[in-house]
Amino acid sequence: MSPREERRAPRDERPPGEHEVHGLAFRDEVHEREHGAAAPPGAAAPPRGLRRISWQRALTMPLFLAAALLGTWLWFRGARLDSIAHQAVDNGKVGLAVRQHIQLTAVSTFFVLIIAIPLGVALTRARLRRATPFAVAVANLGQAVPALGLLVLLVIWLGIGAKAAVIGMVIYAVLPVLANTIAGLRAIDPTLTEAARGIGMSPAGVLTRVELPLAVPLILAGVRTALVLNVGTATLATFGGGGGLGDLIAAGIITQRMPVLILGSVLTVALALLVDWLASLAEVLLRPHGLEVSH
Amino acid sequence: MSFWEYVGSRHAQLLTDAAQHASAVFQCMVAATVLGVALGVATYRTEWAGNLATTATSTILTVPSLALIGLLIPVVGLGVAPTVIALTLYGLLPVVRNAIVGLRGVDATLVDAARGIGMSRTAQLLRVELPLAWPPILTGIRVATQMLMGIAAIAAFASGPGLGNEIFRGIASLGSANALNQVLSGTLGIVVLALLFDAAYVLIGRLTIPRGIRA
Repeated sequence: MSPREERRAPRDERPPGEHEVHGLAFRDEVHEREHGAAAPPGAAAPPRGLRRISWQRALTMPLFLAAALLGTWLWFRGARLDSIAHQAVDNGKVGLAVRQHIQLTAVSTFFVLIIAIPLGVALTRARLRRATPFAVAVANLGQAVPALGLLVLLVIWLGIGAKAAVIGMVIYAVLPVLANTIAGLRAIDPTLTEAARGIGMSPAGVLTRVELPLAVPLILAGVRTALVLNVGTATLATFGGGGGLGDLIAAGIITQRMPVLILGSVLTVALALLVDWLASLAEVLLRPHGLEVSH
Repeated sequence: MSFWEYVGSRHAQLLTDAAQHASAVFQCMVAATVLGVALGVATYRTEWAGNLATTATSTILTVPSLALIGLLIPVVGLGVAPTVIALTLYGLLPVVRNAIVGLRGVDATLVDAARGIGMSRTAQLLRVELPLAWPPILTGIRVATQMLMGIAAIAAFASGPGLGNEIFRGIASLGSANALNQVLSGTLGIVVLALLFDAAYVLIGRLTIPRGIRA
């Protein structure tokens, strides 16, 4: 594999100086300072890498996960379970936990996207542009709130159940995706939008035919961010009676039944890695064709 | 009991929890920084090794913290051990990644000049490359610390130390008069700690970033 292809790992597609940490996009201040003024604004988000997926690379993760799940399942079949452990996993409780977890993740991700992306678009329009730094500051400050505390406060306020969990997950994930969308739209070369206006496009045309397509990579990165964050936060739903795989982990820890704990943890890890892998594929496949060149 | 009355009557417990929370995050962050910078230094000059280090650490970050703690408990038991291991692992990624990006971003002519005036490889690294790469590394440490604050709260479920215990006490007594006060004091305590740490990093940045490369 050539070094170029090696570079193309989905994780490396952010412009230099900008990274994804725990799903949160952030940028080194030093880069902003050094290049912010000097480089043309369009250069802030150069699409790096080729679209071609190396199938070996793409298949490693699912194969690894399948092997790990098979191994865990075989081990779990053989493990000696007492009545307490049986109570935690019998009657399709494992399948139910997986389904609940996927539901929690999907529903909260859906709401995150329909809130964060339009809000990001609105905040970068000329009329609201003055509010952008404020929104970014709130988004950064919000990161300091621990997900667990936020979730439990909502449970106290709204009562036990999946509703409080979903609302907490949405609040927690909206901020990074919003920051991502704003950064993506702001990084667009103003000469491009000016050119679009110059050939007579309406503001709506500029947005839908120039700005949004150019911001697709960053928006997709936001989707991935939201998914990965939500899979993680969904494990905490158990503390508010929201269900999900956290139920198995919590039951395993509280009752000190290691097979239950390991089964719940392995399933959660596998689900998180699978979701991240699917999102990384989507990032590569859905990127607009025009953004590929640059090599 | 109002929130402030609660805080007033439990301030000893809250301060102990807060101190333990801060010290766990701080110590794990020191370990993560040392390990992370070492990993960065060891791998940044080879394309594949650097990418491997970044991919490996970002995979760890994808793993939900409750699940990682769940996998650690059968191996190391409950309490401080899984907390420390989990926090250190989660703290690695931002540091490793930024160390590699920062070290790779150092102008090659500067390293050349350092070699030209007769610096040894170690001296080049310690006196030229690492100081120049320090601002992004510090940013990584800041981001990692904020993340660890929240993860440390979850680690309390595995009998770890810190303000998470206050939140879990609230969960255990859901419906009682003090549940809200307990959860609120734990949550706000973590927010305050996160902001204090962030302010400390700004100060550290002022003091440690070489004057020549400051904005």
